Amino acid sequence: MIRNHLSTIIITIITATMGVIAAISFGKMHQPEELFPSEGLTGKVMLSDYFEGIKGTNGDTEVYLFDSGVEGGTALVCGGAHPNEAASFLSTVVILENLKVTCGRVFIIPRLNNSAFTCSDPMEGFPASYEIPTKIGIRKFRLGSRVTNPLDQWPDPLVFSQYPSNQQLSGFETRNINRSYPGRPDGNLTERIAYAIIQLIDKEKVNIAFDIHESSPEVPIVNVIVYHENYEEIAMGAILGLEMAGLQFSPETSPMNFHGLSHREWGDYTNAIPFLMETSNPSMGRLRGKTDVDLVLRGYCDNYKKAKETGALRIAYREDTGEPIAHRVGRHIAGVVELINSYNLYYPDMQIVIENLPDYDMIMEKGVGEFLNN
Amino acid sequence: MKTGISTIVTIMILFLAGSSLLAQKFEQPVLISSAGQSADVKLVKMLAQRQGLNATTVLMAKPDDLTGFKTLVIVPGFSSKGLGAAGISQQDEIERVQSLIKAANNLKIPIVLMHIGGNARRQGQSDSFNQLVADNSKYMLVVKQGDEDGFFSSIASTKNIPLTLVEKIAETAEPLGNLFK
Ligand SMILES: [Zn+2]
Repeated sequence: MIRNHLSTIIITIITATMGVIAAISFGKMHQPEELFPSEGLTGKVMLSDYFEGIKGTNGDTEVYLFDSGVEGGTALVCGGAHPNEAASFLSTVVILENLKVTCGRVFIIPRLNNSAFTCSDPMEGFPASYEIPTKIGIRKFRLGSRVTNPLDQWPDPLVFSQYPSNQQLSGFETRNINRSYPGRPDGNLTERIAYAIIQLIDKEKVNIAFDIHESSPEVPIVNVIVYHENYEEIAMGAILGLEMAGLQFSPETSPMNFHGLSHREWGDYTNAIPFLMETSNPSMGRLRGKTDVDLVLRGYCDNYKKAKETGALRIAYREDTGEPIAHRVGRHIAGVVELINSYNLYYPDMQIVIENLPDYDMIMEKGVGEFLNN
Repeated sequence: MKTGISTIVTIMILFLAGSSLLAQKFEQPVLISSAGQSADVKLVKMLAQRQGLNATTVLMAKPDDLTGFKTLVIVPGFSSKGLGAAGISQQDEIERVQSLIKAANNLKIPIVLMHIGGNARRQGQSDSFNQLVADNSKYMLVVKQGDEDGFFSSIASTKNIPLTLVEKIAETAEPLGNLFK
């Protein structure tokens, strides 16, 4: 009898301890990492300043402003639409912590779907965070989920009917910000965040807007610039410029009939010129092996080498070097710079001049941490 | 008798050489189309404009679109987004390209292959388009990275098709322009 009770008590204590440890670990995911903007920063507001309907929610997020004070165009750089894509967030952090604007304005939103930073994807075995060594210490960043935290938006419908296109997608996509544009003021949290972003683009008269992503090496849309059909020349000019710098990007037109994505709806519903870029991230792929911080940061995975050798699929994986974070961040920053250069040729009256961003070779040589401020 | 045979042989050689030279002559106006609907074709369109070519781009050109054109430039490369945007399947696209090539061959409109997408437009679904267009081309202009495994070089040598390899996309502009000079 006593023995029975004793085992019950022991099991209860063990379970409670495990629960507490897990709760602490989950709780930490709600703690945003501190960012250290460059001296060029002139303002910081919240996304809810553009739409009240997300105030006080986990969907609200910081919007950083770099205003040169010189009349020109306005750019918006967004990372963290999908917080499981490390180079997406990290590229915007490097831009935030180094940027100097000498003409026009640049807005930066590093955590586009802030709620999705507060959890990770179930059943994927992703690490909850990763660390980057810097000049003076170590910075720790969360690796979040592709979609809004279910604690913030639940339950998912069986079938997601995209607003306003009525396109039918899997229920899970209800929480995907990059299927939710243009959003609506009375929608679910993800639709309201999307709506707030559209309000910001409108109100600030954003001319060029970036949505930075990563994808699996085996999907067809990787190492690409996705552009809206109205702005083909800007994309092509940038692709030629990037190629001259030794970086190959494939152009992809935004399909007119695939709705809810930034490169489609920002272009259709606002005056901004949208671009979406994708780098190859083996930690996101279906063929990956052990999913740890090393895979996220070093991007080296033998399975992809083997897969590429079969030739059955086009695999965006460099077998000698893998797809390390410096390469992915370097590509994104080069992409932003070159697209703005190309934009400037077509809009000489609305120039945006940005400086002080590390180029691809510098990031490859010195590592991402060298360009973080703390 | 011997001299007769050698004369005939010489004439035949000259004739063959002459006809192969003829086969490599390209004239404007130029129709540019895609095989696989990758947006690479938009880059070729831009490069052709920069070279001042009299060129028209029709992404999904059909046999009727060939009317009035003297050269067909095809840019092969598969894009799921491109096919999705066009609302067609890969099989539909293969059939369209086959019919376009057949019509061009019947009309004696020479086909130029331009592969500029590097390894992003190789293997997987791209190679069926690459093969189809390469087999039927009279000239190939390829960015080297797309030929790392010798895919285009070997087609060029077995079928005796002139091939120009360049390092970068921008470097295709000049040889493209020179084809029509
Ligand atoms: Zn993404």
